Formats: sequence, structure tokens, C-alpha cells
Amino acid sequence: MVPEGKPEIDKTVRAVLRDVLGISAERAAAFRDDTPLFGALPELDSMAVAGVLTELEDRLGILIEDDEVDGEMLETFGALAGFAAAKALQ
Amino acid sequence: MITCYDWAGGREAMLRFGPADGPIVVLAMPLFEEANRTRVFAVTLLRALAEHGIASLLPDLPGTGESLTELEEISANDWVESISVATGGRPSHIAALRAGCLIAGNAPALSRWYFAPTTGEAIVRDLIRTRQIADREEGRAFDPAELDADGPPIEFAGNRIPRSLLRALREAESDQMPPCRIVRLDGDPHAADRHVPGVPLWRRSEPDNDPALAALLAEDLAQWVRRCAS
Repeated sequence: MVPEGKPEIDKTVRAVLRDVLGISAERAAAFRDDTPLFGALPELDSMAVAGVLTELEDRLGILIEDDEVDGEMLETFGALAGFAAAKALQ
Repeated sequence: MITCYDWAGGREAMLRFGPADGPIVVLAMPLFEEANRTRVFAVTLLRALAEHGIASLLPDLPGTGESLTELEEISANDWVESISVATGGRPSHIAALRAGCLIAGNAPALSRWYFAPTTGEAIVRDLIRTRQIADREEGRAFDPAELDADGPPIEFAGNRIPRSLLRALREAESDQMPPCRIVRLDGDPHAADRHVPGVPLWRRSEPDNDPALAALLAEDLAQWVRRCAS
């Protein structure tokens, strides 16, 4: 089942960051909308960005185009979750 | 135990686990960077399988690991052939992780068992994305149309991959002829015979292990092989 609804998608984005970056469940659970990601999380290098986006595509049944990937969507947890929700719920 | 096998293009290393007789499983590894990230996990899984009394082989694919053949000389058919000859003609059960199913799926087998199978299209897309993100950081741009033009191998995260291999992989689908069992992770919405808890180690930048998942999969695979062998 592909997750539906914003809270479900937030949960999926959190799980993807936890699983792909190998960070603890406690750390992932503490992410707020304004928690900075890219540039702030040492685990999130360019190689990991590709893994996060591809895993999001798989779990949410979405396709992320190359021209949609920019610094803004990865700036904060809220920006990434908002991007994922806009894609998955359209 | 470390052993080896011969294929048309040379000799490759292979690990062997478990008893000398009874059913035997050949494990096809994921491709490229994903193989490095799951190597320890695969060995943990096959050791656990041996504890269930089932033998297995883990062949290095030509052009990967310690192979003397360069990846840039490899075709998708070489990989299918290497999986077929690794058993020395002994009828075997095939297990595959991720894109391993694209190779193993086309080799003859008594049964097939796939964990988190993926399509060739998804693997090639992932390679392109990784390259595009890395290039952008360095102020360059990678054009995926390069895959369809003639030219030298293209480098993706340290792997020089021939364009013909990329094009063949992009079209590759796994054979799911019965008997075939598919196991996926809980978060994976695709259809499967079973979903299990665990983390997608193939996405991690640093290699890691998940012994609980390996134990669970080994038990599932052991039961499946016994059912198919009886």
C-alpha cells in the first residue's frame, strides 16, 4: 500500500531519512518542519541525497524529475516532506 | 570456504557455505555500488542459511570484486552465463538480491527467490541521478542522452560501465517463472509473497549489516528451498 494523507507521508519521509542515512529513530523522530537537512546533517552528502530521493520514489510511488531536485527542497525537513506530499497527493 | 569457477572469459572467485550435499543455492548479488553496500549482509545471510543445513555459492561476477576482467569489457550475457556455470552444472536454486534478479532470472534454476527485486530501468535511473547530483556539485552537467550515443564507458561513482551494458540493463526485466517467491521490506509498496521488517542497506552510503533481517531471510529461503526440493 502506498501511504496516503500528509501525516502518513511525513512518517514515510522520516523513515526514509532514518533508514537511508542510518540515523537513530530518536533523532529522526525529533525532526521538526524547520529542522535543517542538507548542509546540516553530516550523513546527507550528495551520494546519500540520491539514495533518499530514490527510496522516497519507491515508497511513495512517485517520480522525481532531475530539474525538481534543488537545494530548496532539501533545506529543511518541512520542505522535503512538503515536496513529497505535493507529489504523492496530486 | 573460498573457491573459484571458470567461465568463457576467465576464472572468478566464489565463496562456498554449508554442507557438501543436499540442495544448493546460488546467490546473485546486487549490481555496482549496491553490491559493496550489501556484501557483508549477503555473507551473514548465507552463513545463517548454512545453519539451516542448506549449501550455497556466492560467485563474484566477472568485472566486479577481485575479477581480473575489467567491467568495461562485460556484457549482460556474461553475467547470466557466469551464474549458470558457477554451479558446475549441478541443478540449483537461485536467490537474488535487488538487481541480481535481472541476471539470475535468466539462468536455469530449480526455483527462484528474490529479495527486494528491482527493474533495470530503476537501477539505471539511480546511476544517472547519482552522477547528476555529483556533477552539479562540481559545476558540470551530465546529459542522460549520452547513454544512447556511441562512445567510451561512462563512469558512475567509480564504476566505468559500457554503454551497451547500460542500455541492456535499462530494458532488463527479471524472469518470475514459477516456482518463484518474492520477499520485500515493509516500507516497499510493491506486491510480494511476504513483507519483512528491516532497512534498505543498499541505499546506505557506508556498508552496514542487519543480522536480524539476514536471519529472518535465511529461514524464509531455507523453508522455500526445502518445499521446492521435495
